Amino acid sequence: MEKYYEKELLEELHDIQETYGFISEEDILRISQKRDIPKAQLYGVISFYSMFHLEPTGKYIVRVCDSVSCRLNESTTLVKALKDYLKVEENETTKDKKFTLEVVECLGHCDEGPVMMVNDTYYTHLTVTKAIQILDSLE
Amino acid sequence: MERIFLKKDLGKNLEEYDFLGLKNALKMQPQQVINKIKESGLRGRGGAGFPTGIKWETVFSIENDTKFIICNADEGEPGTFKDRFLMENLPFKVLEGIIISGYATGSKYGYIYIRGEYVEAIKIVKKAIEKLYEKNILGENILNSDFLFDLKLVRGAGAYVCGDETSLINSIEGDRGKSRIKPPLPVFEGLYGKPTVVNNVETLAAAAEIMSYDNNPYSQMGTEKSRGTKLVSISGDVNKPGVYEVEFGKLTVKDIVQEVAGGVKGEKIGFVIPGGISTEALTEDELNVPYTYENLQKMGSNIGSGGMIVVSSQRNHLEIVKNVSDFFRDETCGTCFPCREGNKNINKIVSDIYKRGYPTSHEIEIISDIQYAVSSAARCGFGESSLNLILSIFEKFYTKKVEV
Repeated sequence: MEKYYEKELLEELHDIQETYGFISEEDILRISQKRDIPKAQLYGVISFYSMFHLEPTGKYIVRVCDSVSCRLNESTTLVKALKDYLKVEENETTKDKKFTLEVVECLGHCDEGPVMMVNDTYYTHLTVTKAIQILDSLE
Repeated sequence: MERIFLKKDLGKNLEEYDFLGLKNALKMQPQQVINKIKESGLRGRGGAGFPTGIKWETVFSIENDTKFIICNADEGEPGTFKDRFLMENLPFKVLEGIIISGYATGSKYGYIYIRGEYVEAIKIVKKAIEKLYEKNILGENILNSDFLFDLKLVRGAGAYVCGDETSLINSIEGDRGKSRIKPPLPVFEGLYGKPTVVNNVETLAAAAEIMSYDNNPYSQMGTEKSRGTKLVSISGDVNKPGVYEVEFGKLTVKDIVQEVAGGVKGEKIGFVIPGGISTEALTEDELNVPYTYENLQKMGSNIGSGGMIVVSSQRNHLEIVKNVSDFFRDETCGTCFPCREGNKNINKIVSDIYKRGYPTSHEIEIISDIQYAVSSAARCGFGESSLNLILSIFEKFYTKKVEV
């Protein structure tokens, strides 16, 4: 039975990403050998999930929700303002490697939109000014 | 949240939580627990509405040394946030439900699969699991009985389709979250090929609550086919968005919008999406329908996940359609050709319609044909329901106005 209870692949990938910020080629090679999974399959798995990164990201990952309920709370304006402020498009990292901007599907705070997550922190009921203030305050 | 059925719960504090549901269950035979759940009339609260007791009984009746319980906490349906509410505010209730389902089905191993974006819920549930191990409510000889049950948390990583039970199973196994062909159903061959119950967070919390009563008050609430209560998460153009527990059949959809959620923001209601963006829209004229599985089905829609989104009449309906179509184009797992290509092609048509400002009758016809193909050929609920809302909005709002 123990084999079912070794660390699940997704959990291992999360742990690597939490430590290093992304999942490197070396990590993939190591997991491939340890778990006896072809590298191509691992790439397939990692790239399937939007939260995993194969390249380094910014110090802060900014996830802005643009699904229906947030859209009804003017998330489009927020997304545009953040793109302008950070001078990046979706899934891009700022030149100083500080921020990566992601426009994501529902974050499950539909009653408090518009919503963004910066790394592990949620910010709700946002205005453009408030959102920019939050990003400004991060070192 | 207004509490009706879940009112006894005392929240996050383990010292104040009595685990009465689990204690009662452990005094009974597994079949008696299953009978009690069957009598309660509880149906799956994730969207499909399958009778919970029957699912448990099927797994219980299969002889296998290894069986699994999976709590599906991959709540990604836009407009739905009640499972997050439950995990953050009533984590012990949810975990208690998982342990009870393990006991009732003869499973020793459980998983709770929480979507990666729910960092707060993950933290709280992880801590709650640790505490339960400390208190001998997980592990060996639970509450001094001979019942053994282990529970692990697995984080999802950003894929809406993993809310489908077979995709979720593949995801726990370390694969892409692609759906599996059914049959075999997960109750026969699920996680690692073993009999597996997959239940939604709310279903398991309700099961724990049902077991905590000596009698069966749950079955006294609601209607024959929709027993008990439902957590409805309301968002969009309403004055009091949030999570509310409503008794089935007592209120109409309109009552829920007007009385529970404080009424519409804006001139009047344009339409209501009753159960997340996989369910058909209801126009203002269609809202005087009692909130039950059977009544919403009669209206051609569904309770779904209970994620109600209210859209005011002043909104551009086509913007909503475009947003929903973008979502389904991006989130299909791509395994089934009709779902992958259908959602992509509909998105192109919808983009044209959005730019132009209205659909042609020919476009609606094509969308209807593609919807038929996708919903009938898809393996999982994603494809079956991905075009419901889009088509319903075109049919209800645009068929009379379009050019021929």
